[in-house]
Amino acid sequence: MPEFLSQPSVEIARRLELRGGNAWIAVLSPPGGPALALDELRTELRSILQISARVLPLGTATFEGLREALQQPNDDAVLLSAGADLTPEKWSSLDIMRSALERTGPVILWLAPNDVANLTQFAPNIRSFIGGSIFIAAPDGGIMTEEDRQRRVKELEKQYQLTNGEIVRRAESKQLPPEPHFVEWLVLIGRGDLV
Amino acid sequence: MSGLVSTPGSQLQRRDRFRAYMRAFNPTAPAPGVIKAGLVCEDLHRFLFRNLAGRADLEPGSQQLLVGGIGSGKTTELLLARRWLRDQGHVLPFYIDISKATDLAELNTGSLVASFGVALARHFTNDFDDYKRDPELRKKLGQPFDEVWTYAYGKRETVWVPREDLASGPDVDDLEDEEGYYAVRNVPGKLKPPLPALRRDVQHTRAPLEKFLTAARETHKEIVVIFDGLDRLLDATKFWSVAQQDLRLFRELKVSVLATAPLSVLFRVGVAQSISDHFDRVQHLPVIAADPENGSLRSVLEKRRGSELLSDQDADSICHYSGGVLRDLISLSRDAAEEAYVSDHDSITVADVEKVVHQLGIGYLRGLGPGAIETLLNLQSSKSFQIDQAANVELLVTRRVLEYSSTDFRVHPALLSVIPRPESKSA
Repeated sequence: MPEFLSQPSVEIARRLELRGGNAWIAVLSPPGGPALALDELRTELRSILQISARVLPLGTATFEGLREALQQPNDDAVLLSAGADLTPEKWSSLDIMRSALERTGPVILWLAPNDVANLTQFAPNIRSFIGGSIFIAAPDGGIMTEEDRQRRVKELEKQYQLTNGEIVRRAESKQLPPEPHFVEWLVLIGRGDLV
Repeated sequence: MSGLVSTPGSQLQRRDRFRAYMRAFNPTAPAPGVIKAGLVCEDLHRFLFRNLAGRADLEPGSQQLLVGGIGSGKTTELLLARRWLRDQGHVLPFYIDISKATDLAELNTGSLVASFGVALARHFTNDFDDYKRDPELRKKLGQPFDEVWTYAYGKRETVWVPREDLASGPDVDDLEDEEGYYAVRNVPGKLKPPLPALRRDVQHTRAPLEKFLTAARETHKEIVVIFDGLDRLLDATKFWSVAQQDLRLFRELKVSVLATAPLSVLFRVGVAQSISDHFDRVQHLPVIAADPENGSLRSVLEKRRGSELLSDQDADSICHYSGGVLRDLISLSRDAAEEAYVSDHDSITVADVEKVVHQLGIGYLRGLGPGAIETLLNLQSSKSFQIDQAANVELLVTRRVLEYSSTDFRVHPALLSVIPRPESKSA
């Protein structure tokens, strides 16, 4: 099964530039180096949109603090970083305050791949704003070609002595540990829905 | 329809064309601007806003509820209702997005009254020229203003703490006055987050509100308050706990209320109340069927000049896969154009539409467990859906299932297109 579109940072920034004001998207951090990828996206946003870009962590934010941070100023780009510590309760609280999050500048939700389930389940109002605009930040900042993808899958098969089919079976029976490599593997073979 | 564009001049033209289209199809653009730009089909829900506004005008103190799923266009209807009420001349309508004003997650009784009080007070202090020119009026409303403000935002006050209220210990023994001491404490208001679960009766603020209302009725016969954002309280229990007492006071004050509510209040899961017992009218905003006979969804696209980039076939496809959810319709139209642009197409192609439908479907699919998927597949095959089960209400609230009528539930078409079937698992 195909996955969300994999896009390098520069493409994500170009899409936002094309959209104009009030844009909302979600970007799934790549397995491996999420901090580096976040920094890269921030740089591309600054460069292509010609505005400043801030990273705001969601885990520790209060209603008042987040509302103020998003409105002052309200026209720069903001990357809302979800982090692994975002509980379902926190997602629900964020969802309820969606109106307070609305702003002129783009809002980019920066999520770990398995955060999408929480977004859809516990924050349907925010998910509605995101729509289908969920992209995977392409590893190493470039578009992964089919050749690259196949080579990486072979590497993983060799490293873990498992086949694609076995990985899928284990994921379906909930016996696959949530390790970044397995997440990457499932995404690469188009079964990110099992993450 | 598609092709590569080569010259710089035509690239610019192409870019302008796409940008204009995408400005019109912005699913997250603030609704007031969209209405002002003339991009809204006002008859989409058979001029529902006029019915809501008309009743609010004709029946002072009436209470109407607008219930609809996420992205169904509730805010637009409420804003159109406000505009209609304003246009009547004798009505003073207040539109309040309560989720912008306060932390709804911590919302408690009195918050709606407090936010209305603040809006009413601001009307006089900010918008009303007479108030600025008339010292008598300012004197008359000065104290109510303070009371309303304190009720909303709290205050600091000095209180006497008697000795018997204190536990014994060295500090108590050191008190200069044997009877007790004065302390300064914060009395939280209704709107300043985080809010503790206060039990203060909303009647407390009735007197200052009445003074403002009396002054307002010297120029406007009717006062209407429109509460948007209450639909974010997806849990019906929370909605009731917030709404019940406050709405009672509005009825007593003869202030008409239009409010949004989450879909879950219709199905009474976890709550004993029936909304029809408490509201004069409950208006459900259903999703719009994309049936060929019903051209409503196509009219939304045409109003925004979708044919600039969309063929008839692709427009029909987008209407179908939106499931009739307005925000999804706008999102798919915008996303398809974006795909076409980044793929160097001159206009939207079938492949662009397929790609964005897939993206939307995958978004809905994420987080669904095997049980929920089985429920959806059963709904698809047997058309049966038990709405009295909490898990199924959740599917409805999260828009995986759409309600076209009280007996017609369907899986969101974009989701349906990506649901893994049992056959594919065994393959």
